[in-house]
Amino acid sequence: MKKLSVLLNLLILLTTLAYGEDQYKFDLSETEKKPYHFGGYVEFKPIIFWPNTNAAQYKLNYYKRDPGGNTEEYDAKLQLEGSYEKEAARLYFKTNTDYKNSYFGESQRSTFYEGYLSLKPSASLKVDAGKRTFKWGKGYAWNPVAFIDRPKDPNDPELALEGYIVVSADYIKSFEGPLKTISFTPVLFPVYDHINDSFGQSGYPNFAGKLYFLFYDTDIDLIIFTGGSKTTRYGLDFSRNMTTNLEVHGEFAYIRDYQKNFIDSNGNSYLSEYNARSYLLGIRYLTAIYTTYILEYYHNAPGFTQGEMKNYDSFINTGYQSYLSTGNDTQLQKAANLTTYQMPNPMSNYLYLRVSQQEPFDILYFTPAITGIWNVDDKSMTISPEVLYTRFTNWELRLKATFLIGVTYSEFGEKQNDYRLEFRVGHYF
Amino acid sequence: MRDILKIFYILSTLIISVPAYAAIDGTQLLVQIDRNLNPESYEMYRKLINVEPDGRKKEYTLFTVKKGLDKVAAVFLAPASEKGRSTLRLGENMWLYIPNVGKPIRITSLQSVIGGIFNNADILSLDYSAEYDVEKVDEKGSEFLLYLKAKNKTVAYDRLKMWVDKNKKLPTKIECLTEAGMLIKTLYFKDHKDFGGGLVRPSVIETDSPLYKGYKSIMLFAKIKRKIFKDEAFTMTFMPNIDSLRR
Repeated sequence: MKKLSVLLNLLILLTTLAYGEDQYKFDLSETEKKPYHFGGYVEFKPIIFWPNTNAAQYKLNYYKRDPGGNTEEYDAKLQLEGSYEKEAARLYFKTNTDYKNSYFGESQRSTFYEGYLSLKPSASLKVDAGKRTFKWGKGYAWNPVAFIDRPKDPNDPELALEGYIVVSADYIKSFEGPLKTISFTPVLFPVYDHINDSFGQSGYPNFAGKLYFLFYDTDIDLIIFTGGSKTTRYGLDFSRNMTTNLEVHGEFAYIRDYQKNFIDSNGNSYLSEYNARSYLLGIRYLTAIYTTYILEYYHNAPGFTQGEMKNYDSFINTGYQSYLSTGNDTQLQKAANLTTYQMPNPMSNYLYLRVSQQEPFDILYFTPAITGIWNVDDKSMTISPEVLYTRFTNWELRLKATFLIGVTYSEFGEKQNDYRLEFRVGHYF
Repeated sequence: MRDILKIFYILSTLIISVPAYAAIDGTQLLVQIDRNLNPESYEMYRKLINVEPDGRKKEYTLFTVKKGLDKVAAVFLAPASEKGRSTLRLGENMWLYIPNVGKPIRITSLQSVIGGIFNNADILSLDYSAEYDVEKVDEKGSEFLLYLKAKNKTVAYDRLKMWVDKNKKLPTKIECLTEAGMLIKTLYFKDHKDFGGGLVRPSVIETDSPLYKGYKSIMLFAKIKRKIFKDEAFTMTFMPNIDSLRR
């Protein structure tokens, strides 16, 4: 027994020593640069929906079907990325494959999110040609000045987005004094058949540009888009750390001659043309106990008014009644084709609040958060509590619930679900 | 007479040598400590290891570049989930670039981009003499004890207590304190190593914190080399390309 105890203690001692040696190991091969890189991300995301059978969007999507209660969806995502670098040149690509298995059946879409060649003759100059994203703007949930990006989903603002085919450059100049940096990013943005044709009207070689200043410790961007595929638009954004724990940011977008298509409750189409002025103001605040608050107010000038949105929902309701009594779904099909009404946050005024707590109760890599999006006009809202756990290297686990709250004829009150619960498992490799 | 002269010589030697430390210039000492830790402009590799109470670890590898007093940038090389993330500090401004998010966002020095005991200020640390004034220097046997006070409110830790090896002029331990004197974390400098170019310094910094009982974080250093990069490499626009500075 005594021998066994000694042996056990020796084993513990050896394990401790081995652990101690391993603890401080820094293999220098990890620091060697390879000319190529290949990696990726794979995700599995089951979702349960609790439908709101009285909502306009439910009637629009399920008028020919009866799921008979909760519905489930199984989503999967695969992203592959790689690069090859030689001297001043770098080739980069990122693919995205989305697979969805839902009540409506299976679907799959694969595309290149990005794929471009970069030439970087010096630290001051870089030229890119190919498909890429820009992500202009300082807002977390919305970016009214992101003129040449696809709209991001405020429910998941950090998701990767698909880019557009462009030729762009970055020229950077640094200074001493209150003006520390200037950079200029000109972009040639062609829109022709099979090239960026989902962006706007075809047949134009559009131009966009961003001028960035770091001036008195404030990031300032001046942005322009002009051409013929969309009307000319100007943007300005800023971001500044006021203290070590408070950041303020804002965006302003001016869209000339914006054309808004909308319908009345009978489905008659109207066109309104005006100069649209959108803006966003936000703060990011970190408390002494590492709680982060992100608060943003967004005025979306191209968005629909409460009355316009109510007309759309009324049109769906009458179309649904018509379908039930006659079997004719023409009205509902017309409503389904009005996709601008179905974009995320299609109305005019929103408030966004996200509160996240970094590693509460000394639990490392654990981040609970709650996010609320309020439609200021119709007082409807979504509330999404979530927990994120990243303890295991290269793995990310997230459990998220979303509650949609609102009265009849409000944005979130007319969505097809009352609640949803999703679990996301992601792995980087 | 000769004895008197001898006594006078001994006494005068003692008088001259005793206040040598008492009259030490704390500011100059701190600058010397900075230069003994790093060249003013450099590149280096670091590994950060978060160790949990049960011994489980999570590791991160970073490439870091620094220029002058107020410019420092770093890019994560591993693990895959963090690869390509970069952080930039330009004086009091700090940004984080996440490849998926696709644009740099402003961050604050007290946040931690990796979780654990190391925060952004530790990862993007500038020279101590750039951020702190020396209030007092005490002698503790073979060590100096420097009492440092932040030059302004934007510095992550308001006060530092720095124990310094008298001979090597290198820190052995640093306590990071709030304005009210509350201990946030302690850094232990260990395992001196010759990095070449005349730089001999600790290759390991171990950290613990009363705020994270039982946890510790370790920072390992490798390939610290004097190198001067262009100012444009320390800009928000350049952040997605910091990895291109590696050769």
